[in-house]
Amino acid sequence: MGMRIAVVLVLGALAVVAGAQEFSLSPVEPEEVGDWSRVSRPFRLHPIKPLSADYQGPEFSTYLWGELALGRARYLLMLGISSTSAGLFVDQDRDRTLVTEELVSGGRGEGFYLWQAELTTEPAGGEPYPYRLRFLWPEGRGYVFLLGGAPRKGEFPSPAGRRTFVLVDADIDGTFGTEDDFFVVDTFLDDGGLYGGEGGHERFSREETFTIGDRSFRVTQVAPDGSSVTVEETEYVPPKLPLIPGHPAPNFSFREFTTGEELSLADFRGQVVLLDFWASWCNPCMEKLPSVLELYRRYHDQGFEIIGISLDVWEEDLRRTLEEHQIPWPQAFDGGGVEAEIADLYRVYAIPALFLLDREGNIRALDPGDEELDRLVAELLAEAPAPPPEEPEEVELELPELVPPAEPILELSPPARIGLLPGEESEVTVTLENTSQHLAEEVSLQLVDLPPGVTASSLELEELPGFSSRSLTLTLAAAPDLSPAEYEAKLMLSYHYCIGESCFKFTEEYPLVLAVGEAPAEVATPWNPWWLLVLLGAGLALAWLAWGRGASALSLVLLAVALLSLASGVYLGQARQAQLIGAVLCTSCVGIEEARHDQPHISPATQAALAGLSQPVELIIFSTPWCHACPYAKAMLVEFSRANPLIRFQEVNAEEELELARRHGVYRGGRLVVPAIFHPPSGRTVFGVEDLEARLLDLILGD
Amino acid sequence: MTAGKLRRLRRGSQGLGLLLGLFGFTGIGMTHLIFPGLHCYACPLAVTVCPIGLLQNLIINGTVPLYLFGAVAAYGLVLGRGFCGWFCPFGTLNDLLSFRKARFFNALSPLKFMVLLGTVVAAWRFADTMFCKLCPAGGLEASLPYFGLGVAKLNTPFLVHMGTLGAVLVGMVLVSRFWCRYLCPMGALFSLFNRLSLFGLRLKAGKCAGCGVCARACPMGLKPHRQINNTDCIKCGECVGACAAGALEIGFFLPGKEGRVPVRALGVGARPHRVPADQ
Repeated sequence: MGMRIAVVLVLGALAVVAGAQEFSLSPVEPEEVGDWSRVSRPFRLHPIKPLSADYQGPEFSTYLWGELALGRARYLLMLGISSTSAGLFVDQDRDRTLVTEELVSGGRGEGFYLWQAELTTEPAGGEPYPYRLRFLWPEGRGYVFLLGGAPRKGEFPSPAGRRTFVLVDADIDGTFGTEDDFFVVDTFLDDGGLYGGEGGHERFSREETFTIGDRSFRVTQVAPDGSSVTVEETEYVPPKLPLIPGHPAPNFSFREFTTGEELSLADFRGQVVLLDFWASWCNPCMEKLPSVLELYRRYHDQGFEIIGISLDVWEEDLRRTLEEHQIPWPQAFDGGGVEAEIADLYRVYAIPALFLLDREGNIRALDPGDEELDRLVAELLAEAPAPPPEEPEEVELELPELVPPAEPILELSPPARIGLLPGEESEVTVTLENTSQHLAEEVSLQLVDLPPGVTASSLELEELPGFSSRSLTLTLAAAPDLSPAEYEAKLMLSYHYCIGESCFKFTEEYPLVLAVGEAPAEVATPWNPWWLLVLLGAGLALAWLAWGRGASALSLVLLAVALLSLASGVYLGQARQAQLIGAVLCTSCVGIEEARHDQPHISPATQAALAGLSQPVELIIFSTPWCHACPYAKAMLVEFSRANPLIRFQEVNAEEELELARRHGVYRGGRLVVPAIFHPPSGRTVFGVEDLEARLLDLILGD
Repeated sequence: MTAGKLRRLRRGSQGLGLLLGLFGFTGIGMTHLIFPGLHCYACPLAVTVCPIGLLQNLIINGTVPLYLFGAVAAYGLVLGRGFCGWFCPFGTLNDLLSFRKARFFNALSPLKFMVLLGTVVAAWRFADTMFCKLCPAGGLEASLPYFGLGVAKLNTPFLVHMGTLGAVLVGMVLVSRFWCRYLCPMGALFSLFNRLSLFGLRLKAGKCAGCGVCARACPMGLKPHRQINNTDCIKCGECVGACAAGALEIGFFLPGKEGRVPVRALGVGARPHRVPADQ
């Protein structure tokens, strides 16, 4: 014991020598420090009841489950949904049984429910403490937003005086000091408050160094329960500059996108400047564009200028948008997308973002609305050329944006190596597959980081429907004088998709090697005498003019062309293709049932029934590439196997495995029917997607 | 050939069309053949592929339809819309329900080209076989049998099929060859070849008195002596049997032979050469 005390004393002494200071923090209401201290994160709920969980309460039509960890404490959550209401149950006594008394209090807003609960977190290495948490459920979604953060406030005794210090559990895991947590220090006393919002100059990540006056500090230790932090002085780093009204806007240089002219923000001193962070893929930015254009038209002659900072990734997108909308003001573009250098300098994490600067280059307003912007520009233009900086404007603090979790939905299979001969063109064909039921929009594919002398085409698809794939070909060309070598390049895929009102944009890179001097892999172009059909069409048009013997001759010539076309089709395997199309009955294609494109959900009753299954079940699903109902049937099987992993299935292309399909009796009325799910032990099959959940359950449990 | 003999011959040929349409009863599965008419390949007894159903699938798959159009053009250049009058089972159904020989809005006959265009555009734009979902032949030949077999259910698509089938059946009773006249996309395709097909009608102009009896006999509401081998002519030969003067004949001729197309003489509008004015 004595030894332990001695070690603590020695460490304490060393800390003091090194300039480390520990100070205590205590819980604070978010309203006291700022809305930025009320953080949120999406929390997925699942229709599958966790093992050993029990529920004894009122009945609902749908049950969604989750397990929330606050430190070492684990809370079972259940969201019960009925046609008229919803209730959230939290297992506050942690006995794995949810009872009526554990219904959390809350209320219903327009399109959402909000509940509040006081839980206890048990951080590893710290004391348990109460944790107030709010749960926001956007109606109809499979997740809730956790709103919490449990802010802790204290005073950092810096050499320049005591400064407010707030610590936030930003990842809502009940333990302070973990990876995504942040703290806010009042580094600038004259800015009128604590700027802890996303991009705020007084907000720092766990590892970040902060500067007060001419001295810099870093947080070395955070008590897991948030009761104290230890801060030590470190090497000086320049402070994060306030990007708020009343402070000067940081200068930056850029090359104007259209003219290539080298410009800097300082060049615009004397003009009222609007810094517009935007991108062609950002719908709100494009919606704002007409009013900005109008503003520019009205005030440009009086000394108003706009600098667009485009967060586009590809030049073509920007160029096309500039041309399409006739945007006249200078544009800064470095292709870095949301990581563009100027966006980083201005700590812009969401667009549109507007900074209005006066003639002296001071920030005067952030993200003003259309009317306010118009008024402010007029006011600033009317001001004398060197106005004193005004009192900082009241900046309305906003709740952090709630964004549900998103995953990429497109899969690309690019070649790892592309052969390219100098002075010649080469083609690359890739397959793009949408692995989800969501519609991928504005899909574009481009080769980037190409060596000088190599050019490549880019591709754009307006949309790629769910569960579909597309073969795409890019063309590359190498300059004749390009020396043979291997170059590294990237294939960049960009798209977005939306779930409800939330949209997600993805940009993914696939590395590949350009082997200049190596012959490209042979791509055989299939023989296709399409011109026979053109001849037929032209002949039919000519028939209206043909007369007498001419008509007879034309008829016989066209008959020969038709037979030639028929023979070509047979040679190309189209007769077989026709037979296959005719041989398969796609239940939704011929209108026997409705094709479904939604994501199937299985009811709690089905889940409970499947959970009782103890023997493995193997199923075969027969489908064809053009079957519209098949993706839904397959997705339903995925849900079934999620509910009980003992259910497994194999997908068979009925066209390619006609014999197998025949053997398994996937026939009705002498025709192959898809989608068909075959259950080998019983020899039974379900066809189509109508009422599939019940029929599939019956198929599996029937005997 | 007498009217009765010609009609019997046609009924026999229509029977052959029905037999080919339902040849699956023999146990033969789906073949490579394209059916020369509108007959759903989803029919449990079908052994041939519906050209319109196949066309939509090929558009969706991005296939240049050499085989399909080669077959359709060959059929068209031999018989033209003769297939509608002599072979197509759905055409036969039209015949069986034709209790009225109403002329009824011939101006609407280009509608079938719109149906064909709509079918093609919908397949291309929506990547779906939209026509099949509305097709009355599909309703009769696939939905109803599969309903009996337990594959189809009483759902919206089934009711849509029954709705279009019911409406078309009512149309067939009220207007002779209603489907073939106004709506059939296959008929629209074949009609493009009518002028050049080897099978067709021939008008012996010197014998025509312009009495108009042939027009009263025509199930498509045409005036054969004025509009011989018109794009709407299904070459059924009803007019041939009706013409007491023997001015019309039906058979295989070269398309350039005299009397195959209406000769438009200057100053007499659409009146065929040497045919007197209507009496």
